[in-house]
Amino acid sequence: MPPVIEISGLRKTYQRLLRQPHHALDGLDMEVAAGQVHGFLGPNGSGKTTTLRALLGLIGTDAGTMRIFGEEVPRRLPRVIARIGAVVESPQFFKHFSGRLTLQILAESTGIPATRVDEVLEQVGLRDQAKQSIKGYSLGMRQRLAVAQALLKRPELLVLDEPANGLDPAGIHHMRALLQWLAHDQGTTVLVSSHLLSEVQQLCDSMTIVSRGRRITAGKVADIIAGHSSAHLSVRFADPGLIRDAAAALTDAADGVSVTTEPERLVVTGAPEAAWVTKTLADAGLYLSELTAETKNLESVFLELTGTAPRDGRAVQVGQPAPDAPTTPAETDGQTGDEDR
Amino acid sequence: MNLYRTELHRFMRRRLTLLFGLCSLVGLLLLAFMVAATSRNAPTPDELAFAEEQAAMYQADLDRCRAEEDYFEQEWGYNANADYPELGHAEVCEELLAWGTDPVDHYPYGVFRFAEDGVLILIGVTIVAGLLVMLLAASLIGAEWSSGGMSNLLVWHPNRWKVWGAKLGAALTMCAAAVGALLALAFPLFYAAAALRGEVGELDAQWWEGALAVLARTAALTLGMTVAGSALAMLGRHTAVAGGVIAGYLVIGDLLVRLAGMAFKVQYPDLFSLYTWVTVWIIGDTQLYSYTDLPEEMSDPMTLTIPAAGLLIGGVVLVLTALATWSFTRRDVT
Repeated sequence: MPPVIEISGLRKTYQRLLRQPHHALDGLDMEVAAGQVHGFLGPNGSGKTTTLRALLGLIGTDAGTMRIFGEEVPRRLPRVIARIGAVVESPQFFKHFSGRLTLQILAESTGIPATRVDEVLEQVGLRDQAKQSIKGYSLGMRQRLAVAQALLKRPELLVLDEPANGLDPAGIHHMRALLQWLAHDQGTTVLVSSHLLSEVQQLCDSMTIVSRGRRITAGKVADIIAGHSSAHLSVRFADPGLIRDAAAALTDAADGVSVTTEPERLVVTGAPEAAWVTKTLADAGLYLSELTAETKNLESVFLELTGTAPRDGRAVQVGQPAPDAPTTPAETDGQTGDEDR
Repeated sequence: MNLYRTELHRFMRRRLTLLFGLCSLVGLLLLAFMVAATSRNAPTPDELAFAEEQAAMYQADLDRCRAEEDYFEQEWGYNANADYPELGHAEVCEELLAWGTDPVDHYPYGVFRFAEDGVLILIGVTIVAGLLVMLLAASLIGAEWSSGGMSNLLVWHPNRWKVWGAKLGAALTMCAAAVGALLALAFPLFYAAAALRGEVGELDAQWWEGALAVLARTAALTLGMTVAGSALAMLGRHTAVAGGVIAGYLVIGDLLVRLAGMAFKVQYPDLFSLYTWVTVWIIGDTQLYSYTDLPEEMSDPMTLTIPAAGLLIGGVVLVLTALATWSFTRRDVT
């Protein structure tokens, strides 16, 4: 089945008076397969919202091609727009209109029956607040309303920019369940841009990570995390005084094993397997009290790939690489970055 | 069509629309009440007799002027015909002596006459209604830009030509409806005020023809104002930009243009004032006099005609609309 979204070599440059032009998108590629929840991640200023805006015809681009459902956009966007529901950034509505009126007006503009309005209000959990003026809505309620308007068309493709923004934990849980139901039970393709990495890890089947306007990796979420995790083993002893002896025993037992000692534990890298550590220490008369395998989560992979982890207590500036990070995002990840070139 | 209906729906459901509608209604009622309250009653039989007597005297004077070629030398001491080389003697008499031949000219001061004053009030009501709809249209578009609603709308309707067309169509419909409704209300109100506390006057076929033509042109002007307001809001992407440009021009822009015209010794600086052209469009052909000529060598006045005014005002509206269309269909929505 062809991808629902195909983006290739997308470029967008903002010319600035008396300053260097800003390359918001610098040859971005992305593909989103049908029937999946696809995460779109990147640090602030990496071009996520710019990409979504370009995809939806809100901004022009300088180069590259985009296709949705095989149709070239933005030129042929009107042909497929009825199949797309979208929320870009936090949409604002007329404050004095009620939630229902806001949706009714949108539904009326494309001939969607009024009954659908109540269905989506129910779906996003706003049924009881439907008659309330939007002025009195919380950020989370407005976000739910935004998602409701995206669902009005029964879209085959749902594009959501930060859908969990402002939602409470119950709201996030509800949104996750809704999006997964749409994708896995209804066959809707969902593209979600988000900063909530734990949420993406739980919600998405696949993802694309971008930095400074370029894709730096893409694939299934589990594969990306696994591909960037090395086997770290954390070892603790009832008596922390044994840590030094244990470190010596492990490094002497095999080549390629490195051990980092910390006051309460030691971290073993490069061990063939966890059982090898247990046996080696037992052979040396050292009995551990805890052995845990440390796997990376999406956050650490994200920080590593995008080079946005704080260094020496200093924040990395928006749009800038970390002081000792490679100069281009692709260089941060030879394995997955190469596949994008 | 759906989008047009939606825009109309949104226009009508805005609180500002309701507020302006209510204010217009109250303002109109208040104005009619004030006109009725401040108008003198219709002339008494004595006052009417006096006015008719005066009018007869003026008419006799005019008739005498027409009959006697040397009337001006005899009565005024110089040949006034020389001031109007392009007119014949009878026409000069008409030009200079027509006032006073109508008894109305001698009515006591302060009588509200619907046949004359009513039309001016209806023109005013139409222009105020047009200004309000212009602000409403600009505010609707400006608010959509500043709130992010425009971006949301375009995600639903990516064809920007259709969106802009629907917005303009809705604004024009609202303007026509508002002007029509206010005129329909104002006409009987002021007619009643005149009938109760003044004088209606003669509303013959000629009056209807003239009044309808003037009001139709004024209504057309309000449609142009609405398009211009919408275009400015679309260009500036904010209500304040449209409001600022309009208010700025109305308050000081026009004055500055006139002053610049005078400073650069332009012969007819009034030509650069939009007020001049608007007045010509509503009232009719108007003559402009040179500011630079010496009194003894006055050049001919320049006559501004209704079609010329229509072309100029229409041109301004067209240019603004073209710029707004270009901007909306080409610029990024961020």
